[in-house]
Amino acid sequence: VSSEPTFESAQRELEHIVQRLESGDAALDEAIALWERGEELYRFCLGKLDSAQGKIEDLANRVEAAKP
Amino acid sequence: VERPASSRERPLPVADVVRLAGRAVDALGLVWLVGEVTQVSQPSSGHVYFALQDQGSVLPAVMWGRDVARLRAPIQAGQRLRVRGRLGVYDRDGKLQLYADFAEPAGAGAEALALEQLKAKLAAEGLFAAERKRRLPVWPRAIGLVTGNDAAAKRDVLTGIQARFPPANVIVAETYVQGPRAASAVVETIRRLAELTDVIVVARGGGSFEDLLPFSDERLVRAIAACPVPVVSAVGHEQDMPLCDLAADVRASTPTAAARLVVPDLGELHDRLDRSRAALGAGARRSLDRHAQRLAEAHDRLRRAPALLLERRRATLEQTAGRLRALSPQATLNRGYAIVRAGESIVRSAEAVEPGERIDVEVGDGRFGARVE
Repeated sequence: VSSEPTFESAQRELEHIVQRLESGDAALDEAIALWERGEELYRFCLGKLDSAQGKIEDLANRVEAAKP
Repeated sequence: VERPASSRERPLPVADVVRLAGRAVDALGLVWLVGEVTQVSQPSSGHVYFALQDQGSVLPAVMWGRDVARLRAPIQAGQRLRVRGRLGVYDRDGKLQLYADFAEPAGAGAEALALEQLKAKLAAEGLFAAERKRRLPVWPRAIGLVTGNDAAAKRDVLTGIQARFPPANVIVAETYVQGPRAASAVVETIRRLAELTDVIVVARGGGSFEDLLPFSDERLVRAIAACPVPVVSAVGHEQDMPLCDLAADVRASTPTAAARLVVPDLGELHDRLDRSRAALGAGARRSLDRHAQRLAEAHDRLRRAPALLLERRRATLEQTAGRLRALSPQATLNRGYAIVRAGESIVRSAEAVEPGERIDVEVGDGRFGARVE
């Protein structure tokens, strides 16, 4: 378990930020901070999508590997 | 049963006799019978011609295509079937024939009944209740796949997953999916996969009623309901509906459909992310624009403020002057009144002046001297 956010939680936060910005009541500093955070989340999500390499393995091998 | 009037003098035509015999056997109504299937043939019409035999007797039978289509399993030689139908006599050859409209494996009756009872029991326990169903993870870290060495189901799930979402991690567990060991093998496999994955797909291709029975086994059904991670069931064909389908969190009609359920579509994720980013930029720009506009307006008002202040003061002054003018006696004098002064003081009484005294009179457009008489 890593402290890194999951793709899902990052995507949720990004969409929440977009909503907040679109509501139009954010103060200037907040709007800039939101945008920066949003860009960061976008890059994070995109990185997740582009870098993730799937694998298919066998339960039998997995169990073998787990043995001491 | 109708008795034909016939005699040596008045014999009946063959067609009449065959028709009468047909009516007589049809009067027996719906018949259930059990026997072994032989001589199966299915021409392109879709109807199935076969014969049922046991204890040395044979009965030809036909099932029309629309009834064949409703069967769970095809009619095959060597099967022991429980068949329902009406009897008739085929006029072309005068043979007794069964017009069958339903057939099932002869052993299936008791099993089907037991299955119905188990289903009712588990349903009463709430095992199949909609509120027990869990949502599948959007992006599972690892997907467990329980399958037989049946290549098609396994391949369909894996290809489906990889086509839709290449980053998926799948742990494949091949196990028995048929026969007496299947139920406990699948239970054990699910238990082990649940520790390593966050969603499990149980996939098995179609099969006969008996083949799919392990997937209605009480232990297996309970294990799926109690599984710590959500389970997708893709077992058998659409119409089979083994009990594991009811206990699973989601039922997939095919292995390919199961693949679509357990992973997101990478293309869609990309699109959604791009839309979010576009909206983010637009939102931020709008927010900045709005703040800039508010600033410009404030600046404008600030610049105009001193001039506005002077303007307002001048207006107030004019107004005061107007009121002052309205109050001055000039207007009254213009209407014909006069102010009389004796020396410095205004004369307000006839008693205040003496005859011969000099007075000053002021009228609207000037003043003149006078003497009191």
